[in-house]
Amino acid sequence: MAAAPRRPGSPGNGLRRRVFRIRRSSPQGLVPYIFIAPNLLLFSLFMLFPLCYAMFISLHDWDLVGDTSFAGLANYSRLVTDPLFWTALRQTLLYAGGAVPASLALGMLAAVGLNQRMPGRIFMRSIFFMPVVVSGVATAVIASWLFNDNYGVINALLERAGLSRVNWLSSPSWALPSLIITTLWLRVGFCMIIYLAALQSIPRTYYEAARIDGASALQQFIHITWPLLRPATFLLLIINVIYSFHVFDLVFVMTGGGPGFSTTVLVQYIFNLAFASSEMGYASAMGIALYALILAFTVLQWLAGRRSEVAMGGG
Amino acid sequence: MSKTGSPPGISRRRTVGALAGAGLSLPIILSPVRGNSQARTEITLAIWGDKGSVTAYENVIAKYKTVRPDVAVKFEVTPFGQYYQQIDTRLAGRQAPDLFRVEFQVVGRYARSRALMDLTPHLPADFGSAFPAAFWQAVNLDGRTFAIPQNTDTLAVFYNVDIFNRLGIRIPAGLAESWSWAEFMDIARLLRARGGVRYSFAMLWQNSQAYRWLPFLYQHGGQLLSNDLKTPEIESAKGIETIAWTQNWFKEGLVPPNTAVKSNEQPQALFANGTLGMYIGGDWQMPYLDQNSPDVRWNATYMPRDVAMASDLGGSCTAVWRETRNPEAVMDFLKFLTSETVQRDFTLDGQFLPVRSALIDGKLAYASRRDARKVFLEQATTVPPHLVQTVVLPSFSRINQRLADQLDLAFTSGQSAELTAKNIGATISTILRT
Repeated sequence: MAAAPRRPGSPGNGLRRRVFRIRRSSPQGLVPYIFIAPNLLLFSLFMLFPLCYAMFISLHDWDLVGDTSFAGLANYSRLVTDPLFWTALRQTLLYAGGAVPASLALGMLAAVGLNQRMPGRIFMRSIFFMPVVVSGVATAVIASWLFNDNYGVINALLERAGLSRVNWLSSPSWALPSLIITTLWLRVGFCMIIYLAALQSIPRTYYEAARIDGASALQQFIHITWPLLRPATFLLLIINVIYSFHVFDLVFVMTGGGPGFSTTVLVQYIFNLAFASSEMGYASAMGIALYALILAFTVLQWLAGRRSEVAMGGG
Repeated sequence: MSKTGSPPGISRRRTVGALAGAGLSLPIILSPVRGNSQARTEITLAIWGDKGSVTAYENVIAKYKTVRPDVAVKFEVTPFGQYYQQIDTRLAGRQAPDLFRVEFQVVGRYARSRALMDLTPHLPADFGSAFPAAFWQAVNLDGRTFAIPQNTDTLAVFYNVDIFNRLGIRIPAGLAESWSWAEFMDIARLLRARGGVRYSFAMLWQNSQAYRWLPFLYQHGGQLLSNDLKTPEIESAKGIETIAWTQNWFKEGLVPPNTAVKSNEQPQALFANGTLGMYIGGDWQMPYLDQNSPDVRWNATYMPRDVAMASDLGGSCTAVWRETRNPEAVMDFLKFLTSETVQRDFTLDGQFLPVRSALIDGKLAYASRRDARKVFLEQATTVPPHLVQTVVLPSFSRINQRLADQLDLAFTSGQSAELTAKNIGATISTILRT
């Protein structure tokens, strides 16, 4: 039996036209879309859908187990007036302010050092990079033993050296610095690898020309290395700030958000609201606020980075 | 004709179809061979627990298998730290286990959220009379039963026998002679000064288990909520004095600073390695102390008392998911699990304290540490009924989190007792209003 002729404008025709348009606009046709389809599917399933669902939940009151009830924007207005949200935001910014610049600086220092010809260079690079491949929770458990007030190795070493013990994780003044030190242990290796790759992509001829012109090592770093490392620095800044705003495993294992609220960062507070107080709607609203915050920061950084690239190109 | 060597007249598609059909029909063909025409029912039981608890549950399941071979009980163990997070997520995703272990403090929240099956129609009218009123009250909400008590535990004071003997410290001979608050503080100061330990004692309330602070409030004659449970009472003089008293433990350096309410420290390890002279902990920690303190000889005595005696409501019960697919099989197993004979064996296997009146009154033949267990059994009778009513409120998990935040501020950050009480009162008012 002959198939019925398709009428113009029927769904089959529309789809065919769109496929044709894609083929005409891209010389590879559908191939790129087929390649990105698995990633797109996973992204939609595990990122986009949960994000949309979190937005939906943030407009409701829900204890995770029972029924939801529509709350409108009440969770968002509560967020603005909740002093603990502002405390958690402040502690997150303090943590990021301590961890991000130090990670970048130490990572760059290690990369510059390990870019030189020296014995045991590969071994040293592995040592620096090793914490990156270890699970964050495992690192946090090890760090909480090292920093333990009573039987920690660090306090034992301090005592041996004739110094007084420090209440690393139980003093509101020392708990956040302890977390930042542990973060450096975790992140410096990652920054080092990115910087090392960037350093190795700088042509040696730039340095040779500079040396011929009589530039010192410091001048070479300031006028050649530093400007050419700017794209890597920009990338690391974005990645490390996002990491700092997302930090949870270290805090959860090492301090639980205490003492007091001294290490209560945003994600720890969201976790407490969701799973200790069973306020999933409010926790989702805070998650959306955190998402908006990171998005705003990333856009600002991207604009600033683009402007400086244009300026460099123009110069 | 097929090129793959299939017999003439049979295509590849037909061969694959025939094999798939045979595969699908295999279980049907084989089922009479197993000698049981009845379909095997599978139910799931989720618990948290240490080695002792797991053994106790495994023994119950093995016994049940001999009684009901047609029902398979699938057993899932989750570490306590992630337990409620997993249960909540599975309830939300409608993939919850048929039965699950819950603390008394959590039954109200699950029942109010309609996550639990109402057990009332499945139980005889006098079923609750087998349990002391406090335990039975803890599993009932608005006159309906939502779980069955399984075991209890409570707090008492572990002490280092050698240090106490050396310092000549009086050990109470009975519950009525337990130390007063003043005596307890004197002992703590003596231990710090002459006990040869870094800290006098520690209290088990870490990981935000702030509800364990409440017995001290009741010992001092205070309470967290009013008698009708509708308004906070923590801002009373009794409440402020209790906060100040426990805050003083930290101010005087009697307890390790990293054992406050929100820390992750394991104080039982500090007692086991000789850092502490005393430890206010739970009876379920005795097997741990036996295994991990080869150099510390220890025993247990009663909680200190002020105007009243009080300890903590601990322990667990078993609840059923409202949407279980096998309610009959689940109820049959639950009745077996909570029957008197099975609970006696369960209590002894897991080294728990019993919840059934008949087992509490009868002398259970524990394999070890009978003296210490006697102390805990006596101490369990001092749990105040109002404390039970408070901690089983459906909103208590939210109250507990705020209580932990504020007590931690008082203990670690110098927040005054007055301000701590005021903040706790304000946050409880908000929670009770919503």
